[in-house]
Amino acid sequence: MDNIHTENETNTNNQPFEFTGKALEYFAIWIVNVALTILTLGIYSAWAKVRTNQYFYGNTLLDGAAFRYTARPIQILKGRIIAFILFVLYYFASMANPVVGGIIFLFILLLIPAFVVMSMAFRLRNSMYRNVRFNFDKKFAQAYKVFFIPLLFAGGYLLLASQINHLQTADTETSTMLGITIAVLLLGIILMFPWWEYIVTRFKVVHAKYGDADFSFSATMKNYYGMYIKAYLLSIVIFGVIGALVATLMHTATSDAVSSIVPFLIFILIFPAYLWLFAYFQTKRTNLIFGNLDIAGHKVRSELKTGYMLYLYVTNTLAIVFTLGLLMPWAKIRTARYRISVTSIDVVGDLSQFVTTQEQQQSAMGEEIGEMFDMDLGF
Amino acid sequence: MIKGIYYNGKTSEKKDAVLYCKHNGLIGFSDIDVPETPFNSVEISSRIGNTPRYLNFPDGSQFETADNDAIDEIVSTFSSSILQGLIHKLESAKSFVLFTVASVVIFGWLFIQYGIPFISKEIAERLPEEASQYMGQGVLDIMDKQWFSETTLPKEKQAELQQLFDDLKTNIDGSQYLKLVFRSGDSIGANAFALPDGTIVFTDELISLTDNNLDIAAIMLHEIGHIKNRHALRATIQQSSLAIFIVAVTGDVSTSSSIITAIPFMLVKSGFSQGMEIEADSYALNYMQKYNINPIHFANMMEKLEASFSDEFNNCIKESKPQNTRIQCINIAVKQNKAKDKKQSKGLLDYFSTHPGSRERTERFRVPANAGSD
Repeated sequence: MDNIHTENETNTNNQPFEFTGKALEYFAIWIVNVALTILTLGIYSAWAKVRTNQYFYGNTLLDGAAFRYTARPIQILKGRIIAFILFVLYYFASMANPVVGGIIFLFILLLIPAFVVMSMAFRLRNSMYRNVRFNFDKKFAQAYKVFFIPLLFAGGYLLLASQINHLQTADTETSTMLGITIAVLLLGIILMFPWWEYIVTRFKVVHAKYGDADFSFSATMKNYYGMYIKAYLLSIVIFGVIGALVATLMHTATSDAVSSIVPFLIFILIFPAYLWLFAYFQTKRTNLIFGNLDIAGHKVRSELKTGYMLYLYVTNTLAIVFTLGLLMPWAKIRTARYRISVTSIDVVGDLSQFVTTQEQQQSAMGEEIGEMFDMDLGF
Repeated sequence: MIKGIYYNGKTSEKKDAVLYCKHNGLIGFSDIDVPETPFNSVEISSRIGNTPRYLNFPDGSQFETADNDAIDEIVSTFSSSILQGLIHKLESAKSFVLFTVASVVIFGWLFIQYGIPFISKEIAERLPEEASQYMGQGVLDIMDKQWFSETTLPKEKQAELQQLFDDLKTNIDGSQYLKLVFRSGDSIGANAFALPDGTIVFTDELISLTDNNLDIAAIMLHEIGHIKNRHALRATIQQSSLAIFIVAVTGDVSTSSSIITAIPFMLVKSGFSQGMEIEADSYALNYMQKYNINPIHFANMMEKLEASFSDEFNNCIKESKPQNTRIQCINIAVKQNKAKDKKQSKGLLDYFSTHPGSRERTERFRVPANAGSD
């Protein structure tokens, strides 16, 4: 791969990303999307997705130029139809017969690496900036290598955990063995999770391209373990304090009135703690991924703050719940504005030397199936 | 004259450019040396809010501009398609957007309240009998494992009720698959269940609330009503289609958090089963009127079932005095419940319980009884 960045241009300037989307303008687009989706019995949802993405991409600016989403609604519609059929099959099969449902689930699990590759390729090849497309190398074999151990553990754990009810009547020796196996698998998952997340993210980043320029990823496995260990310790402290508080209250509670508010109190304390943990992970993870991205020498910076993300999550959740979803467009716009405004790129020289490559049409199947089954395939 | 940025199609190099469009539809640039292109060969992106517009030329080059209105003017002059920009026009018309908001809210409510139950009913009625049979497989096994234990009813009582059940069945078409079983309900208490495959489960606790077999027959008919109307299948279809509907309308599963999808679920789920309870009641009422069983038996049994969950009943049983049999306790509890009922009015909480308005339900069985020939 030829490196675009030439040595004589050493003047670096920090270019911020800008977001110009407006809540009211997006609300109109969103509600028309919803109405047309209903009127067409869901068919318009493919067009709705394209318009939504075009709105968000088109309002994301860097160095005076906007991003562009170029997927065709028909491709997305085809992907959606396949995903929908699969989803309905899985839903009814697992309801009627858990064994058939389990087999379909395992089959889908086996296809995850392929979906990830297809999804990345679809999304990136339909993203454009300054008339140059992003790209993704479709390395299926490597995807299976990266996902092999995680899928083995996750699949094994899910399979055994789902069978535990059936085996309860079996002799004690078998159930003890089963219990130990599940515990070992679970411990393995907890210990190895940071490593998996690291190799999966690295796989997604290093095969991404802008034009013919490669992305590189400078985060290390140590960064990922650091992030998780901090989160584990912080949650132990937080939940420990809450637990101790509740225990003392229960112990010293003299009247029925006090002990009756305890469950309510637990909820009041646990919910913000949970949201905080969520915000913490989102923030650290995003900063870790984007802060370690580098496109042909141009380094990306990401400076999300946990406190502000927590504020956004709390206010968004309240607004959405109390308006039965009508404020969702506003929530999406303000979240995007914050996330994009804290991202910037250290441009070395300028961004004019990226070279376009030949494009190929991509199937939207991987992305749509992933979305139906609620797998987070992007980064 | 439209100001914007020109990209040559080979690299990401930016060039400020001014685009013009002649009266004959030829598009060119006043400051870039490229041949003019006819309007029909240029691909123009559709308008979305105020995001930049793109003009793509056959040689791969692209023009990006924020001057949406100027582009709209060119498009409306030279495009023959009336659909051009229609969606954007809808999105930017304030009154249309307001109208859409109102219609979406009203439609969403109507569809969840009436549409989904109707569709589920139609589907359930068209599915072959095997669908219910298949769904019911293993349901009793799971219930046995989770809640029930062996029945403690005497053999004679079981045979007597079985005979009653068979007698009821003789008047029902296609009833050969209906089956009656008894279980000890334990923590579940007095209850009866209609499983999708036609099995009806009675708990010992329910049987022991009454010494009149016709009370039991009324409940049997109610449960047969559930099975005949395929309520289990319908409820399953309803719940899954509601999930699919919400996913389809909001468009994306990932951004709409689970909280949003859970709320309508919770609100509606209880409403669904209430409608079905009333349908099953109607089935029982029709049967009873047709074959001269006094409907008051159903009203009596409903009151007893409701009272069996009251503190009065449970305390009475716990006292374990010899005169406190289950039947005497339940009769006391029913009386106290009735006295209480007179004081309280119907509360908002009714909407959240699975068996709401039980008073209204029993009234239906009382009116025809009083008007009848007794």
